[in-house]
Amino acid sequence: MPVLAAQSLTKTYRMGEVSVTALDDVDFAVERGEFVAIMGPSGSGKSTLLHLLGGLDFPTSGEVFLNDLPIFKLSDDELTELRRRKVGFIFQFYNLLPTLNAAENVGLPVLIDGQPLRRERARIDDLLTLVGLGDRVDHKPDQLSGGQQQRVAIARAFVNQPEIVLADEPTGNLDSRSSTAILELLRSTCRELGATIVMVTHDPRAASFADRVVFLKDGRIVHTLTNGAGGIPVAEIVDVMTRLEL
Amino acid sequence: MFAVAFLARRNLSAHRGRTLLTLLGIVLGVAVVLATQVTNQTTLDSLYEVFDRATGQASLLIVPVNKERQPLNQELLAKAARVKGVEIAAPILQARTLPASEAGSWQIAFSMTGVAAGNFFDLTGIDPELDPQVRVYPLTSGRMPRPAKYEVIVPASYADKKNLRIGDKLELLAKDQPARLEIVGLLADEGVAMINDGAVGFAPLQVVQDLFDRAGELDEISLKVSRQLTENPAMLEAYKQQLATRLGEGVRIVYPAARGQLVGQMLATYQLGLTFFSIIAIFVGAFLIYNAFSMTVVERTREIGMLRAIGLSRRQVMQMVLAEAGLLSLAGSALGLGAGYWLAQVLVRMLVNLTPNSGNIHDVPPAIILQSLAIGIGVTLVAALIPAMQAARITPLEALRARSRSLGRLSPLYWIAGLVLLFIGWLITYRIVWPMEVIYFAGYASLVCYFLGATLTVSLAVNLLEGFTRPLSRRIYGNEGAIGSANIRRALGRTTLTVASLMVALTMIISIQSLAFSFKSDVQDWIDNSLGGDLYVRAALPMRESFAKQLLSVPGVSAITPIRVIDVQVAQGSLAADPESNDQFFFQAIDPASFLQVGNMKFAANQGDPAQNWKRLTQGQAVFVSSSVADRYNLRQGDTVTLLTRRGEKPFYIAAEVVDFTGQSQMFYGAYADLRNLFNAQGVDRFAIAIDPTFSVEGVMQEIKDRFQKSHNISLQSTVAFRNSILDLMNQSFRLFDVLGLIGVIIGGLGVINTLTMNIIERQREIGGLRSLGMTRRQVLKMVLAEALGLGLMGGLYGILVGTMIANVAIIGTNMMIGYDLVYRFTSSPYLISVLIALGAVQLAAISPARRAARLNIVDAIKHE
Repeated sequence: MPVLAAQSLTKTYRMGEVSVTALDDVDFAVERGEFVAIMGPSGSGKSTLLHLLGGLDFPTSGEVFLNDLPIFKLSDDELTELRRRKVGFIFQFYNLLPTLNAAENVGLPVLIDGQPLRRERARIDDLLTLVGLGDRVDHKPDQLSGGQQQRVAIARAFVNQPEIVLADEPTGNLDSRSSTAILELLRSTCRELGATIVMVTHDPRAASFADRVVFLKDGRIVHTLTNGAGGIPVAEIVDVMTRLEL
Repeated sequence: MFAVAFLARRNLSAHRGRTLLTLLGIVLGVAVVLATQVTNQTTLDSLYEVFDRATGQASLLIVPVNKERQPLNQELLAKAARVKGVEIAAPILQARTLPASEAGSWQIAFSMTGVAAGNFFDLTGIDPELDPQVRVYPLTSGRMPRPAKYEVIVPASYADKKNLRIGDKLELLAKDQPARLEIVGLLADEGVAMINDGAVGFAPLQVVQDLFDRAGELDEISLKVSRQLTENPAMLEAYKQQLATRLGEGVRIVYPAARGQLVGQMLATYQLGLTFFSIIAIFVGAFLIYNAFSMTVVERTREIGMLRAIGLSRRQVMQMVLAEAGLLSLAGSALGLGAGYWLAQVLVRMLVNLTPNSGNIHDVPPAIILQSLAIGIGVTLVAALIPAMQAARITPLEALRARSRSLGRLSPLYWIAGLVLLFIGWLITYRIVWPMEVIYFAGYASLVCYFLGATLTVSLAVNLLEGFTRPLSRRIYGNEGAIGSANIRRALGRTTLTVASLMVALTMIISIQSLAFSFKSDVQDWIDNSLGGDLYVRAALPMRESFAKQLLSVPGVSAITPIRVIDVQVAQGSLAADPESNDQFFFQAIDPASFLQVGNMKFAANQGDPAQNWKRLTQGQAVFVSSSVADRYNLRQGDTVTLLTRRGEKPFYIAAEVVDFTGQSQMFYGAYADLRNLFNAQGVDRFAIAIDPTFSVEGVMQEIKDRFQKSHNISLQSTVAFRNSILDLMNQSFRLFDVLGLIGVIIGGLGVINTLTMNIIERQREIGGLRSLGMTRRQVLKMVLAEALGLGLMGGLYGILVGTMIANVAIIGTNMMIGYDLVYRFTSSPYLISVLIALGAVQLAAISPARRAARLNIVDAIKHE
C-alpha cells in the first residue's frame, strides 16, 4: 500500500483571461521508505505537485491520500494538524526562524504541537548529530553556513517522525560540496529512519540520489527512471531532461 | 499556547528596534491619558481642598441668595444657633482688600477661574472664640486675636514675604482710610492659611464690619451640626430642607462642596479640551501600533508561511501576534504609567498660575490608573487585531515563494468606506442637532469618522498625489528621486498607514493652534471693539462715581466711563432652562452715554439698529445679554429675564445679544441708573478712560498716578497691557495643548521611521539589484529620501485638510457646549509648522533607514530572503 497517492490531480490557474493548467490528471504514488525525485523543465508543474502532495495548496480536481486518508476532505485545522504530525517539509531557502537557535528550530514542530522542548531534547540532539551539527545546537541561523542551515531544516523535517518528507529544491541554494553532503544525508536519513521522501529538483545530480525519478512535462508525468542497485546514472537523467526540453 | 508564547517572546526580543518603537507608542499614549486625567483630577482636588479648608468641619453653610446686595443679617446668627441639632454657628465676613503699601503697584491678574488667587488680600472676619472649633488655625507662634480688638493673624509664609513679625502693624485699605491691625499670631502653611494662596488674614468679626462699613452684616454662617446628622446623608438633607424653611427667604443652605463645584464648572470646558486631545493622542498611538504590527506580519510572511506549513494553525498564528501585542501592551502600559505621572507633574506645574493648585500631585486615584492601563492594553490589542487576522490568513505557500508579500493593492471598498465615513462625520457636525447630554459623544464620534474616513481615502489619493510629488522629487533628488517617489504607489497599505499617522499628528497641531488663534482673535476683537479706551483705573475697593470728574480734569483725558460688576441672581422659573443652582450671573453696570465715548459693545448678528438698542438700555430695566447666556437659556432680543433686586423680583427687557468673554460670559449689561435704583449699589470698580491722541498714554498715566495714587489708592493699567495679560493667560492655557501636540508629532515621526525601515527591509533584494546595476550608495540614499519626501508631502496635505476640518469641528463643538460664537480664523503659523514637519522632520526620520539601505552589501542583498 503506498504511503502517499495522488489520484487524477488537476490544478488550473487563471492568469488574467487565460487559463493555465499546471497539473493535468496526474496519478502518482510513493511507497513507504522510498526516495522519489520529481524533475521537469520550468513550468512543468513539479512544484505544484509537491504543494498539493503536502496539502499546502488545493487542487482543481482530484485527491491526495496519505495512508489512505483523503487529505482534501479535511478541514483547514485538520489539514494543519496532519501537516504538523505526518508531513515534514524542507524548503529551498531553509526558512529557519532567525530568532531561534538550531535546536529550537529543529524542535519547532514539537513546540507548535504544544509539547515542551525538553521532552524531545534527546531526539533533537540525536537528529542534529545525525545531520552533523551536534556541536552547533546553540547557534543561531546567521551563525551557520547555508549548508548547515539546510541540515537544521532537514533535522526539523524529521523531528515529528513524519510519514513523508517533502523537499522543494533542497540543494537549490547550496554549492556543490554542500549539495552532495545534503543529498547523502537525505538518502542516509531515509534509510536509517525508514523515512519516505519526495524531492523536487532540477539538478540531475541531485535526482541521481533518489530511488526513482519521475519526469513531468506540461503538467503530466511523461517518464520514470528507477534505481538499480547502484543508483540512477546522472547521464541517463540528463538524457531524459534534454529530450524533454527539446 | 506554550509555543505561541515562546515564539512571541523570542520575536519581541529579536527585533529590539521595532519592539522599542512600538513600546514607545504605547508608553506615550498611556502617558498622555494618565497625565491629562491626573492633571484634571489634581486641579479639581486642589479646588475642593481650598473650599474644604475654608469650611473646616462645617457640614452646612448659610449663604445669602445674593451675597453682594443682600448679605446675611447678623441677627440670623443667634436664630441659627438656637436651631436644634446646630452645635456651632460661626459667622464669616469677607473683605477683599490690599495692603496699603501695595495699592500703588497693584495690578489685576486673572486665572482661568476669574481673578487670580492671591491677587487681592482676603481679610476674613471671624468669631475668634468660636471659629477654631469649626476650622483649624495652626498657630506656629502668637495667639488668636481677641474679640473686638484691632488684631489679625496671618500665615507665617505671608509674613515672611512681607517682612512682618508678631507685634508689627498690618496696614490694609479699608472703606475710608487705611486700617492698622496688629499681627498677634502666625499660622503654619496648612488649613485656613492656604486660602487665597496664603494672602489671607483673620480678624475679629466686629473689626472687619467696622472697617468696611458693614455693621450687622455677614457673608456666611458655617454650621457644625450634631454627629448623628452628619453621619447620615439622608437625614442631613432633610435637616437642610427644614433649616431653609425655618430661616426664611433671602438665605440658602448649601453643602460646603457646592461652592467648589461652582468654580469646578468653570474649568470643565478646559478639562474637556484636554480629554479631547488625549483621545487624538491615543489615536496616533493606535496607528503606530497598528503600523508596527502590520509590518511585523509583512516582514515575517515567509516565516509565518513556514510555521503554517509545519503545522501552526490559523488560530495559533493569530494568538502569536496577539501574544506579542499583549506582552508589549503590559510593559508599555506599566512604563506609560510612570511617564504619565512625570508628564502630569509637568502639566500641573504649567497650570499653577492658571488654576488654584499648588503644583503638586497629591495622589493618583486607582480608577485613573486602571483606566489608563485598560486603554493601553485595550488599544494595543485592538490595533494588533487586524494584523493578527491578516497573519492568520497567510497560506503555507507563502513560505515557498521567492518574494515576500507586501501590503500592495487595497480593495476599493476601503476608500468607498472612507468617503462614507467622511460624509457621516459631516452629517454629525453640520446637519444633526444633538441634545446636550450626548454632545460630547457626538463630537468624539465625528472625530473618529473624520480620522478613519480620511485614512481610508489615502489609497484613492496616492496615485493622483504621487503624480504631483514625483516632479518635485525628481527636481530635488534627480532620477533616483523619481524612482523613490514611484515606490510610494507600491505598498499602498503601508503608505496609507504612514500618511495617516502623519496626518493625525499634524491635525493635532493645526487644530489646536487654529482653535487657540480663533479664540485669541475673538478675545482680541472683543477687547479692541468692546472695551475700548486706552487706560483703566482700578481700586481694590469700589471708588466713588464723583472721582470721574477729577480724572477728567487731567490733561489728555478726553472721555471717561464708570463700570461696576455685582453678583446677581435670576428669579426661579425666569429662564427657559432653569440655571443649575450654582450658576453664577453678573450684572455689569455701564453708563451708556459715556461708555460710547470710550468704547463700544460688539453686538451679535441680527440685533437690529445699535442706536435703538442703546436707547432701550438707557431707558432702564433693560439688559444686554452675552450670546453664551442667550444660547444657553434660549433668550432672544425682546424677551425678558427676571432678576432679584433689592426691590424684589424685577423683569428686565433684553435689548440685545452681545459678544462677551467676561466672567465666563454669564453677564448681563445694564444701566448705572438701575444699579443705583434697583440694586441699591453705587461706586465704581474701574474707570475706562479715552486719551486724546495728541497725548501719550504713559504720560497721562503718570500724571494720574502723581495726582491721585496716594489719595485714592488706585492702580492703573493701559488697555494694551490689560489685553496682553489676557492674551498671555490664553497662551498659557493653550501651551498644555502644545505639549500634547508635540507628543503626537513624536509618535507620528516614529511611524515614519518604522515605515521606511520596513520598506527597505522588504526591498533589500531589489535595492541590491539596483546597486548591481550601478546605482551608487548616494543614489540609494537619495531614492529613499525621495520616498520619504513623497510620504511627507501627502501626510502634510492630508494633515492640513483634516486639521482644518477638525479645527472647525472643535470650534463648532465649543460653540455648542459653552455657547460662544467663535468662528474659524486662518493663521499661517500652524500650517508653516506642519509643512516644516512634513518635509523637514520626515526627511530627518528617513535618514537612518536611508543610510541603512545605502550601506547594503550587494551580494548579501541579492541573496537575502
